Amino acid sequence: MKKIVIIPAYNEISNIDTTVKDILENAPGFDYVIINDCSQDGTMRFCTEQGMNIINLPVNLGIGGAVQTGYLYAWRNGYDVAVQFDGDGQHDAKYLNAMADFLEEQNADMVIGSRFITKEGFQSTGMRRFGIRYFSILIRLMTGQTVLDPTSGMRMVNRSVMKIYSEDYPVDYPEPESVVMILNMGKKVCEVPVIMRKRQGGVSSISPGRSVYYMIKVTLAILMERLRKRRSC
Amino acid sequence: MMTVKLQITILIALAVALAAIINMIRRKSLELKYALSWLFVLAAVAVFAAFPKTMIVMARFLGIDAPVNMIFFLGFCFSLVIIYTLTVSLSRMATKMRKLTQIIALNEDRIKALEQKLEKKSDSEATHEGQGAEEGKKDREKRLEK
Repeated sequence: MKKIVIIPAYNEISNIDTTVKDILENAPGFDYVIINDCSQDGTMRFCTEQGMNIINLPVNLGIGGAVQTGYLYAWRNGYDVAVQFDGDGQHDAKYLNAMADFLEEQNADMVIGSRFITKEGFQSTGMRRFGIRYFSILIRLMTGQTVLDPTSGMRMVNRSVMKIYSEDYPVDYPEPESVVMILNMGKKVCEVPVIMRKRQGGVSSISPGRSVYYMIKVTLAILMERLRKRRSC
Repeated sequence: MMTVKLQITILIALAVALAAIINMIRRKSLELKYALSWLFVLAAVAVFAAFPKTMIVMARFLGIDAPVNMIFFLGFCFSLVIIYTLTVSLSRMATKMRKLTQIIALNEDRIKALEQKLEKKSDSEATHEGQGAEEGKKDREKRLEK
């Protein structure tokens, strides 16, 4: 089985090295690809010098476009399993093989690394936890399924979802929306408990000022997904 | 109502605008597809300027007391329509650009991989030839010894 880790990177020069080492050491059997989203801090040069496998986007596409490039890469190169993995040191590669086993055993289409099953490790700040709970409830109302951590950026998918995402993926703040997208298509989404760290460096894409936009945009996006489903039925 | 002076000024301005738009289309800086709506606006304003009575008739038909209010209202509506179509085509452009960027990035990666493969191949061929030459030399030396 061919498995690949997709690492979207925007100005991650300080973290990318540890992230790649973590994957090479703790996730045997996984290939990796870094998607450089037009970084300004020399991430590209650094990675090329280190001989890392890196794809360079000639213009900045944002997180959604970068991750989608990864899925497209995985799809084109015949990978059976692809997993998103943040380049900022939040995620721990030691869970990847367990997630892949779980995906196969449960015959799931997506496995999410969830912070809120065992509630261990870094749990995010209070406001964010509240937001995540809100999305979780919204998704349950819209799809009838429970996803405890819909904003988790650590998500493993099989080839069928890879294809869907390589053709259609939200532009910004894509996680909750893309989960709803495949839930509406009848895909099976499971969660496994993982422990996440606080980000080691860099800045979150969700600054306080943008969080209002984030909540409204993602809420509308989820409602839109629901409308699309009704139309296609 | 409208003075003749104003009428002439408006018509001259319209003629200049028309010339500018046609010149842009001629130089292919402006797609005819997008220019059509602007040409339509010019035509409508020209009719109103040349025959102000049409404005009054139309305003009465629409139930608007002052013809000038009708002009403001219709102009505003038309601007909104144009802005909206621009947003739609902007979204389409963004999607297309995203797809293109991704394909370019992936293709570049493939080209690099292929180049490396090719280099390796030509390198190994070169060494093969070298070995072949050396062996030939040895053979000849052997034959000479005999």
